[in-house]
Amino acid sequence: MSATVVIADDDPDIRALVAIAVARAGLVLLHSAADGAEAWNALSRHRPDLAVLDVSMPGQSGLELCRRLRADEALSGTTVVLLTAGVDQQSHEAGTLAGADHFLSKPFSPKALSLSLAEIAEPRR
Amino acid sequence: MWARLLHRISVDNPSPLLKQFPTTVAFVVAVVLALAVPSLVLSQPVSLAAGAAVMLVVTIMAIRFTRNGSETRWVLSVPILSLLAIALLRHATGGTASLFSSMIILPVVWIAAEKGRRWIVVSIVGTSVALMLSHLLDWKLPQNEGEWLRGLITPFVFGIAAAVINELSRQARVRAERNAAMAGELEGLLDDARANEARLRSQDRLMRSIWDAVTEQSVIGTDVTGLIDVWNPGAAVMLGWTEKEVRGRRYITDFHLEEELELRAKELSYPPGATVLNPGFSALVESARLGRAEVPEWTQVRHDGSHVSASIAVTPRLGEDGSTIGYLFVGTDVTQALEVSRLKDEFVGLISHELRTPLSSILGYLELMRDDEDSPLSEEQLQYLGVAERNAHRLLRLVGDLLFTAQVTSGRFPLDLGPANLSEILSASIETARPTAEAAGVGLVLDLPDEPTVIRGDALRLGQACDNLISNAVKFTPRGGTVTASLTVTADDAIVTVRDTGLGIPAAEIDQLYSRFFRASTATRNAVPGVGLGLTITKAIVTAHDGELDVESEEGVGTAFIMSLPR
Repeated sequence: MSATVVIADDDPDIRALVAIAVARAGLVLLHSAADGAEAWNALSRHRPDLAVLDVSMPGQSGLELCRRLRADEALSGTTVVLLTAGVDQQSHEAGTLAGADHFLSKPFSPKALSLSLAEIAEPRR
Repeated sequence: MWARLLHRISVDNPSPLLKQFPTTVAFVVAVVLALAVPSLVLSQPVSLAAGAAVMLVVTIMAIRFTRNGSETRWVLSVPILSLLAIALLRHATGGTASLFSSMIILPVVWIAAEKGRRWIVVSIVGTSVALMLSHLLDWKLPQNEGEWLRGLITPFVFGIAAAVINELSRQARVRAERNAAMAGELEGLLDDARANEARLRSQDRLMRSIWDAVTEQSVIGTDVTGLIDVWNPGAAVMLGWTEKEVRGRRYITDFHLEEELELRAKELSYPPGATVLNPGFSALVESARLGRAEVPEWTQVRHDGSHVSASIAVTPRLGEDGSTIGYLFVGTDVTQALEVSRLKDEFVGLISHELRTPLSSILGYLELMRDDEDSPLSEEQLQYLGVAERNAHRLLRLVGDLLFTAQVTSGRFPLDLGPANLSEILSASIETARPTAEAAGVGLVLDLPDEPTVIRGDALRLGQACDNLISNAVKFTPRGGTVTASLTVTADDAIVTVRDTGLGIPAAEIDQLYSRFFRASTATRNAVPGVGLGLTITKAIVTAHDGELDVESEEGVGTAFIMSLPR
């Protein structure tokens, strides 16, 4: 059975690009959220294997979502991949501190992203 | 007028005229008596006239000496000649039997009062001569023992009187001198005191004006318990309390955030009740107590309850014996500086996100288009796509550079330190530049040592620095030229040199090379593309590695950038 994914990014074009990478990695996209609140609802409802979250979103940021997710027992099985447009070491550290499992930076190559996602989801299959 | 007159006849230093005055008056009275009283003998009218003439002359001399303010010994010719005048008067009025013999004492007093014992002798001799003058003028010796004795005893008595006067006036002079010295000393002390007072006054004024001028900093003084006794206008401005409301009434800790004081006290292990002072205050004066030159940031509370961030330097106030009698707190409001720094960070974050997100879409979708296997693109279309991709990457690099310089200027410049193989980094940079160099007809030469050179540094950033130097060199070298990148190693440093045979940099512009957005005139003249960030970034990277970046250049010949990195 393919791993399930919820993605969240406030930019619709990036969202679509991530969705394509998810599809090419052979994963099942359950929900594509445009902001933090919508993402949280989807995460709570679907309990996906993988969450691909943008760091900076209006409302709840990817970092906050990540912290909330890690605090929730029911979601302990979800692997978190943070996507960030930030370039410095500090944003990387903040992501790790919030409990993210993987950290990918923008801009990304869709091919490379789909390969990474496939690799990350591999143990779950 | 009276005061002036009194001063003139002051006893301390009587004028020759004043000294002569009694003698002249007595002489005039004697002459009048000799002429007016019939019973008095007037045996020698010529002598009388001569005596009067001499007296007139000496009185005039006294007047002149007085007027000239003369202080020479010649002034004493006045009493000596007066003796002669009196002797002539005595001779005219009966000689040894004269009624006016005693007048001799008047000039003798003057002579005897002079400084020095010799004037006693002069007095005795003068008296003897005056008494013997009658005998001299008559060319006959004293007739009997009585006359002889009178000629000897009277000068002897006058001599004793002269000695007494001489001694008394000597003592008076010593006293006067001592008094004058004391008065001088006193005057000196008074002058010193007046000068000190003036200096203190002017220092006080200076202190006061400095004190009033410090309005941007708070200066607060307390005793050892933290009770405030000094509160400057700056503190009033910064914290909104007047000096009157605070002095002797409030403690410094009243103006600090309680939670912050507690937290710092805990961090410094000042448990409540364990120290004499309260723990918060102990934390506040920690640096002063230990003599550290720290200026920590604290949150202070204003009169209206709002907060102000201040960096506060604390120093001890020392008493006469060198013990601490209190503390001085000099605070600078850094609220605005912190806000500016926060806004800058926010701006950097915003740019980072807002510029990189659309670029992510552009690059991502271009890649999808290129890799679309269902409908492959024509050769021509692929070429167009390549141009779009290259330019998107260029834009991305520019955004990265802008962000990086923003980080450098805001002082936030993270280095990911680890082993960095400079040989590999330089090779990679040469390979990166090769397509561009080939297209531009510029030869690339790489000169590496046999052993790989590894230093401790941020490999990514060092690669960026090498890329910048090499791509710059290629850009500035005309077709047919060569760019040589070499790596050499000394005992302390690894040295990367990138040398070109390009346009060169005018000497006057070398100093500005590392300024942001600076472009050399040779670059603009020859339409070399770029925005002027590369060298700023390279310099920042090298500096962050404790290295140095030097440049040698000659216009029309070429340029060499030399990057020395500590091993």
